[in-house]
Amino acid sequence: MDMDLRNLQGYAHIFMSGFLVIMLYWYIIHLYRSEKKGERDYEKYGNIALDDEVTSTPVEDKRASEREYKEENK
Amino acid sequence: MQSNAALEYDYSLAKKFTFLTILFGILGMLVGTLIAAQMAFPELNYLLGEYGTFSRLRPIHTNTVIFGFTVSGIFATWFYLGQRVLKVSIAESKFLMVIGNIQFWLYFVGALAATISLLFGVSSSKEYAQYEWPFDIVVVIVWVLWGVGMMGLIGIRREKALYISVWYYLACFLGIAMLYLFNNMAIPTYFATEGLGSILNSVSMYSGTNDALVQWWYGHNAVAFGFTVPIVGMIYYFLPKESGQAIYSYKLSLLSFWGLMFVYLWAGSHHLLWSTVPDWMQTMGSAFSIVLILPSWGSAINMLLTMKGEWNQLTDNPLIKFMVLASTFYMLSTIEGPIQAIRSVNAIAHFTDWIPGHVHDGTLGWVTFMIMAAIFHMAPRMFKREIYSRKLMEAQFWLQTTAVVLYFTSMWIAGITQGMMWRAVDEYGNLMYSFIDTVTVLHPYYAIRALSGVMYFIGFLMFAWNIYKTMTAGKELTQEPQFRTPMA
Amino acid sequence: MFFHWLEKNPFFFAAAISIVISFAGLIEIVPNFAKAGKPLVDLKPRTVLELAGKHVYMKDNCQSCHSQMIRPFKSETDRYGDYSLSGEYAYDRPFLWGSKRTGPDLHRVGNYRTTDWHENHMMDPPAIVPGSIMPAYKHQFTNIADIETAYAEAVTVKNAFHTPYGPEFQRTRAAWDAHRPKVLADAKLIADDMRNKDVKEAVANGEVPEIVALIAYMNSLK
Repeated sequence: MDMDLRNLQGYAHIFMSGFLVIMLYWYIIHLYRSEKKGERDYEKYGNIALDDEVTSTPVEDKRASEREYKEENK
Repeated sequence: MQSNAALEYDYSLAKKFTFLTILFGILGMLVGTLIAAQMAFPELNYLLGEYGTFSRLRPIHTNTVIFGFTVSGIFATWFYLGQRVLKVSIAESKFLMVIGNIQFWLYFVGALAATISLLFGVSSSKEYAQYEWPFDIVVVIVWVLWGVGMMGLIGIRREKALYISVWYYLACFLGIAMLYLFNNMAIPTYFATEGLGSILNSVSMYSGTNDALVQWWYGHNAVAFGFTVPIVGMIYYFLPKESGQAIYSYKLSLLSFWGLMFVYLWAGSHHLLWSTVPDWMQTMGSAFSIVLILPSWGSAINMLLTMKGEWNQLTDNPLIKFMVLASTFYMLSTIEGPIQAIRSVNAIAHFTDWIPGHVHDGTLGWVTFMIMAAIFHMAPRMFKREIYSRKLMEAQFWLQTTAVVLYFTSMWIAGITQGMMWRAVDEYGNLMYSFIDTVTVLHPYYAIRALSGVMYFIGFLMFAWNIYKTMTAGKELTQEPQFRTPMA
Repeated sequence: MFFHWLEKNPFFFAAAISIVISFAGLIEIVPNFAKAGKPLVDLKPRTVLELAGKHVYMKDNCQSCHSQMIRPFKSETDRYGDYSLSGEYAYDRPFLWGSKRTGPDLHRVGNYRTTDWHENHMMDPPAIVPGSIMPAYKHQFTNIADIETAYAEAVTVKNAFHTPYGPEFQRTRAAWDAHRPKVLADAKLIADDMRNKDVKEAVANGEVPEIVALIAYMNSLK
């Protein structure tokens, strides 16, 4: 029983660590690839802190995209 | 609702929590300075009878600076920058305002009551989780209210993308919630019997080695999610905003975030090296502590590189100085921690004064510096006045920086001296020193540490005074400053 | 894309954080509960008086300066005795290993210190150990220990965690009233070895000063 538990812990650990490491690397690749392809410029989000008046235009407007979504699905 | 010209950010909650940050900061640091002095001059233990001994006051110091000062600082900055990076005023929702105010008052009253309970020795004894169960429940309610408020604000935001700081505050909320709940699981003995004994007493759900594991899984990660995660969240907003420079690499900030989330939780067992917890967990704790350098330094380097090409601001603007020094101390303590987590080093360092030395690198140099810088940045925006005195700020900076250096150098020497003396043997293999020899030898270092405490505390009073004068006598501003904080 | 979706959906984003951060706890801590909780073969739970002493120890926060964890080094076993075993702590709720040795380890202090020594030491530590920076705990000689709470705790751990307390440990007040003389008898044994008149008198009057409970606890640390 004791050994079973240990083994299970070991396998669970290796599996989950491996899984999360792969996810992390996938994420790195994703970040750089989507920037290269021009799908998304991650660095522009840095401006959220600089231009943060309540009246300033959002980098990505949530309410506008919700409106569009609603209109598309009318 | 879409674009309202009269719409403004509402800083009332940020202001309230700023006051508490300063109040609890003064209280927690005063007690800290006193207990540091008690170790050098034991007569100071008798100022308040039973309630003034080192042992009674120590949890008051730790809990007040953690759950009083730091948590207030986290709340204050959240209610400030949360609105700004989500581009939504909290006043747009009556509900969120009410929740925020309930959170404030419950937190204030609860924190005071819990502090008093510790003074009377009502303690569940687990480090940084000493509050007994009724106070734990208050903590949980306050925390849930904060979570509701945070999620609510995120729900009504204009900015669709969540800025990196929001990630960190969210992780702080989730992490502390999970850790605090599991570590404080206890059964109140009054209700488990026919009303026998004290209603405040409870017994831990875990015993012995398990209890130790859960406690240090909590203890280490309470540091992670209370002293690292939200403070990184703060600097990712305040440093770019104050300097006018966007984060050097936004992608690196995202990667460091996930790295930190994944690695940090494993490192807790380094508090239990050479104890009776299973070996593989100790090894895991050591190994992950070393890996932890990567995401920590990833964030720190990102902050320093943000200032690339703008280092002249370091000499022009004392606020940038505070934040750059904070990042530097973050780097120092995140390299020092992993070193202490190496087994052979830990054999000497554990149980000695090197550990409080390490903690204070982080808390004095990193956490407090960053929170003070944040408040300096927020004050002119919240009170619509210039910072009262730049000179005072400069003087405070140098006084406190010297204090931190004195603190950690004296505790390094004290810790290593003590660790080496405990294990020293003569040529026949007999222990060379009795325990008391290893105490008396530390007197000069304890005295230096007490001095550094006094210096740091005076610096904090200068800060409090400066903010007070800013509120009441600073030159009024006609317009909210965009980047650099104006100061006289 | 998965990551875009995640970053824009605060709820699932929060769920992802929760999964990543709870992973360590799930693997590291939970599965070992059954195993590490095992007591040593002849381990006895603490008596009510000792438990009350443990509460005094926690109330005055002795663990902020004293550890109860002897590490497996020769320098430690020479100084404090055998290194600590997991099974010795099986009934300790909470554990009191401490994290700092401003004073010496106490895990086996019962082996080499006596009631008499503690009495003098708690009254005035530097008088017994010159150079000591430990404060005196004179208030423990007058404050009364809460033995009823200690009993409630023994009953609670018996019912909730099967800690092997005898059949006389019951949830009722009547059971406590029946057990109380036993606690006082234990207290009297300690007080008999002490010199302080007020303490002896208090015990004779059916009250247990904190110092008596604390010494009982420390004597049980072996």
